[in-house]
Amino acid sequence: MIVARQPADLRAALAQTIVGQEGVIEALLLALLSNGHILLEGPPGLAKTLSCRSLAAALDGEFKRIQFTPDLLPSDIVGTRVFDQRESAFATVLGPIFANVVLADEINRAPAKVQSALLEAMQERQVTIGPQTYPLPDPFVVMATMNPLDSEGTYALPIAQMVRFLMKVNVGYPTRDEELRILDRFAIADTQPLRAVATLDDVRAWRKQAHDVHIDEKLKRYIVDLVAISRQADRVTVPTENGTPMRVSELIDYGASPRATLALAYLARARALLEGRDFALPDDVRAVAAHALRHRIGFNYRLTTEGVSMDGAIAALIAAIPAP
Amino acid sequence: MLATNDAARSQNLARLTVESFTLSSDTARPQVDVPFHLIVTLHVRERVLEIDNLELPILAELELLGDERQTSAGPHGTLYRETITVAAHRTGTLTIAPATLQAIDARDGKPKQWYTNALRLQVGGVSREILRNDEHAALAVVGAVLRALLWAAGIACIAAIAVLVFRRRKPPLPLPVQAAAPQPLQAPRSRRDQLQDALTVLRADPTRAAAVRVRSAIWRMVGATDGETLGDVLHRPEASDARMRSLLIALERGAFTYDDDLDAAIRDACSALERSLGNL
Repeated sequence: MIVARQPADLRAALAQTIVGQEGVIEALLLALLSNGHILLEGPPGLAKTLSCRSLAAALDGEFKRIQFTPDLLPSDIVGTRVFDQRESAFATVLGPIFANVVLADEINRAPAKVQSALLEAMQERQVTIGPQTYPLPDPFVVMATMNPLDSEGTYALPIAQMVRFLMKVNVGYPTRDEELRILDRFAIADTQPLRAVATLDDVRAWRKQAHDVHIDEKLKRYIVDLVAISRQADRVTVPTENGTPMRVSELIDYGASPRATLALAYLARARALLEGRDFALPDDVRAVAAHALRHRIGFNYRLTTEGVSMDGAIAALIAAIPAP
Repeated sequence: MLATNDAARSQNLARLTVESFTLSSDTARPQVDVPFHLIVTLHVRERVLEIDNLELPILAELELLGDERQTSAGPHGTLYRETITVAAHRTGTLTIAPATLQAIDARDGKPKQWYTNALRLQVGGVSREILRNDEHAALAVVGAVLRALLWAAGIACIAAIAVLVFRRRKPPLPLPVQAAAPQPLQAPRSRRDQLQDALTVLRADPTRAAAVRVRSAIWRMVGATDGETLGDVLHRPEASDARMRSLLIALERGAFTYDDDLDAAIRDACSALERSLGNL
């Protein structure tokens, strides 16, 4: 068993269970270290659930999975009060949200009031059931998934709710070599997730360290510039489907808010810690910029009609700001 | 002048018509330990408030005493003049590399890099350190100071006369000290020289500003531009050598670490520079 003393050790332990998807593993750890929540978007079968389950197992924390469906109720998530006939009193039954790692699977399949219940709990880190308010465990990380392929019968998350997630990560297909390794590991051998390689106390200590990571003034200006360019993207162009350049500003209805600025700083600090540094670098900011901006920029319909990929437009924005 | 293809960088460059870009000294024979001035003069046709992306050479063998910038815009464009006060502490030939300017050439809309002329100065006199043990040291220092004062007074008189004469002829805009067309690219300095310069600068001036400047210089040495990140630079073939990689990482630490760690970071960068020099 690996004894994790640093966040990087936890990453190495997760990599023993999950083949490829280094980006997802890193994103999960960044969310954990930044005390934020993460939205994973990708087709089914790309180890999103396994990643979340493995993280919870590695932390020896409590893991709960909530499958979002159209008939789900808010009380199915946060809990409810039931009448105990023997005691002749109401008793509170806490919902599955009371766990250290909560997987909200296919979050866009439940109606808005259920999504709101989850997102409010994410923001407030407490839940009120009847007259009583219950704090959620610490650490508490929600990892929500969305499937971009089946949009029928789904309820799109409004941006105002989407920004509650610290980061949004697109999960892609594995490479050929990775898929061969997946075969070896899961079809042939019986691999179990590594358990308890770090403690919840470790996580709390890491968060404190991440909070203390130094961000230089030059880097702060870089972060602000990266967010500001999403609001004034007149001078940035991106090639359309037919190859002609188009101003990114024409694809954006509204840019990222200062919440994105904070998210970038939190994530850059977490990444610096994950890399074993107590100061952040431009590389840290650039590595997390797309994750922090992707769900915070309001792109319009022209993104689709002009055949521009969202990530392509975001990459153009990031490339437009020279690193310090 | 050297055309660059870095589109991302060029988006931040000013659009300028460079008329002249020169580096001069107020003396061709500076005396050891006696301050003198290096003057970078840039004349552009446009009226601009400030000049960005102008890089001074690394003044490795000189002590930096002051830096004054003056920008004057008039009907004939803008004259930028940066006066750097320095002192040499060793006698012999002193070579100062060209200053550089990156801008979009307003004549053809292409991003370019301009270079001034380089300077070669002959430092004379006797070091203060040597004189300290000499029984005539005091007299020599007084003599040197008097000589310097005489030189300064003479230069001031000449400059005043020149300014008066010039103002009578062309009131709005003074001419640059060495008016000339943009200079062609100078022969590049060797890698060893550049590393030695960087080491000298960091040892003489162990500050964040010097670390950032040395980082820029070493990045240019491996073909990178300032807008890239360390990750980009480490992917370059010029940075494939392990010693160079450790140097680049150490300089990045010097540029971005917290204040309490700065001394250690600069010591680390100096060690990495020494290792890189030993490798050549």
